[in-house]
Amino acid sequence: MKKYLLPIILLVLMTGFWVSRDFQEIAAGVAIFLFGMLMLEDGFRLFSGGLLERMLERTTGSITKSLGFGILSTTLMQSSSLVSVITISFLSAGLITLAAGIGIIFGANIGTTTGAWLVAGFGLKVNISSYAMPMLALAIVLVFQRSKYLRGLGFVLAGMGFLFLGIHHMKEGFESFRDQFDLTRFAMTGVLGLVVYTLVGATATVVMQSSHATMVLVITALAAGQISYENAIALAIGANIGTTITAILGSLTANFQGRRLALAHVIFNLVTAAVALIFIKQIVWTVDWISDGVGIADEDFALKLAVFHTIFNVLGVAIMVPLTNRLIRFLEHAIPEPEPDVSKPRYLSQASDQFPATMEVAMRKEVKHLQDNAVELIAHGLNLHRHELYATNDVAATVEASREPLELDIDETYEARVKTLYSAIVEFATRATSRDIPTEVADQIHALRDAAQASVRAVKAIKHMRRNATDFTKVPHGAITRLYNSLRSEIARILVEMHKLDESAPELRSSLSLDEERTTVEQARKATTRTVEELLLDGRINANEATSFLNDSGYAYQAMNDLIEAARVYYLETEGGMAEVERILALEDEDIEELSSAG
Amino acid sequence: MGIKKFVEKINDYQQRLEQKKAKKIKKSHVEKVIRKLEAKRDALKSDLKSAEKPSKKDRLETKLKVVDEQIERATWLLEQIG
Repeated sequence: MKKYLLPIILLVLMTGFWVSRDFQEIAAGVAIFLFGMLMLEDGFRLFSGGLLERMLERTTGSITKSLGFGILSTTLMQSSSLVSVITISFLSAGLITLAAGIGIIFGANIGTTTGAWLVAGFGLKVNISSYAMPMLALAIVLVFQRSKYLRGLGFVLAGMGFLFLGIHHMKEGFESFRDQFDLTRFAMTGVLGLVVYTLVGATATVVMQSSHATMVLVITALAAGQISYENAIALAIGANIGTTITAILGSLTANFQGRRLALAHVIFNLVTAAVALIFIKQIVWTVDWISDGVGIADEDFALKLAVFHTIFNVLGVAIMVPLTNRLIRFLEHAIPEPEPDVSKPRYLSQASDQFPATMEVAMRKEVKHLQDNAVELIAHGLNLHRHELYATNDVAATVEASREPLELDIDETYEARVKTLYSAIVEFATRATSRDIPTEVADQIHALRDAAQASVRAVKAIKHMRRNATDFTKVPHGAITRLYNSLRSEIARILVEMHKLDESAPELRSSLSLDEERTTVEQARKATTRTVEELLLDGRINANEATSFLNDSGYAYQAMNDLIEAARVYYLETEGGMAEVERILALEDEDIEELSSAG
Repeated sequence: MGIKKFVEKINDYQQRLEQKKAKKIKKSHVEKVIRKLEAKRDALKSDLKSAEKPSKKDRLETKLKVVDEQIERATWLLEQIG
């Protein structure tokens, strides 16, 4: 079906162009309008990384706030598709809840009705192209500016200009077309008309990928008397059904939460359309009653269609909002959260690399996922159990008692649980930072990538020392066993401290506390070297054992420092001023050297 | 101790601030960090009181020295900001 769609569309267009010059103008008007929408989206994307994300993050509080955000942002951006994409992206990254996402999507459906008002109330009443020309001229000057925000403003202005120009050409086209063809010949009445024109509206929206464009086309055709008011209403209902295709397409690359939101969107639009079709007479009566009340002329069908579009969407929201909790339960049942697979990236989806704020959050969560896997593998690589380490008051005694070698193919587990995640993180970081994103976000993403690399290095170091650490600790071998146990204990203490940081309340947590670990690790390293020399002199270990141990202790201290570095980056304050304070107060290597030597 | 590096970091921060490449440090930022460090110092002191093994006491004393040093520097930074 898909392979035939493009030739069919092209054939219909070419035939239309050949038959009528006015059809060319209408088609060009639609094309210019859609191009304007793309420019608006590009323009608003340049503003992401700031205000847009901060606003969206604050809409998680209540359904009213989410609805308000959906209405406001869609009114402002004139694109419910962009608002849907942003919402799916934020939901996939875990920045907002499903309930907030649903609220935003409901609000976007009301916000999109402002487009109909804009066209019916303004676009058809004035010579809209006279506004478009200066807007386009000013826009092009701004588009060539270096400042990202000025360029964004330029694209938004150009987008608006093209929207106006598109409306103008559609309006002109339909007015001239009226003189040659009378499309009202194809008007249908009754239930058949309702069904046929609803399907036509849905198909037009699927083809144009925009219910907004369908609505503008319908309103301009209605104003030119080329379609009947009754059929225009069915087309508007059809546009709402057709737009669900955009939501489904947008969710294909999203995670389970994004797919739940897309399904919510589909359910909302289908329920709203069904209610409108069933109660069409009552809604039309309400439209007439309201239009009379606010002074809309009886024959002004374009404005009446805008009233219908608004009532129809507000009614949908009024029906669905009280059912939100039930809807969420249904969505959670219909699209269950997949069983967590620790070897697969959980947060780095294509949906989460759409906006700087979601990129950073998704990256941070995935790096933590990798760190958790690395900590587990390091503990198991040393034949230790994390739950025992986290519960004990005496790490050394617990480590000494953990002699039983664990059944573990460390190379295979490393490939499956660490390397795959690390590859996904590197790929995501490269893709994300190759885009035009704020420098501070790019720096954060690079720092997080380096933290992931440090975790990987730590695991590799443990891989190197696992065989000797197992051989020398499973049964007591005297001094060399004590040496290996002390190394295992030092690593275990770092794992315990990382766990404490994880568990501590954010208002008490500081990456600066990792300087304490750096200092004690350095102190332990010095003490270990002294002990090895003494044991070798006393003959309690032989030269072979000493060299093996010194090699392994090199790996162990490398692993400890890498673990500390990975945790430091992860827990470093992200808020500007606080981050600066932590950066200034963090101890340098020479401070660590001096403090570890003292006393 | 590495006071020279510490002062260098403050100078570097001020340069970046002038070039608008750094966020301004407010008094409240430093005070918040000091509160976190003091809470950590209290926790370490409490652990030290209950520690029995000499090796554990040594480690806790080293950690205390580190946090004392950080509090001293943070207090000095607070005076400079104020």
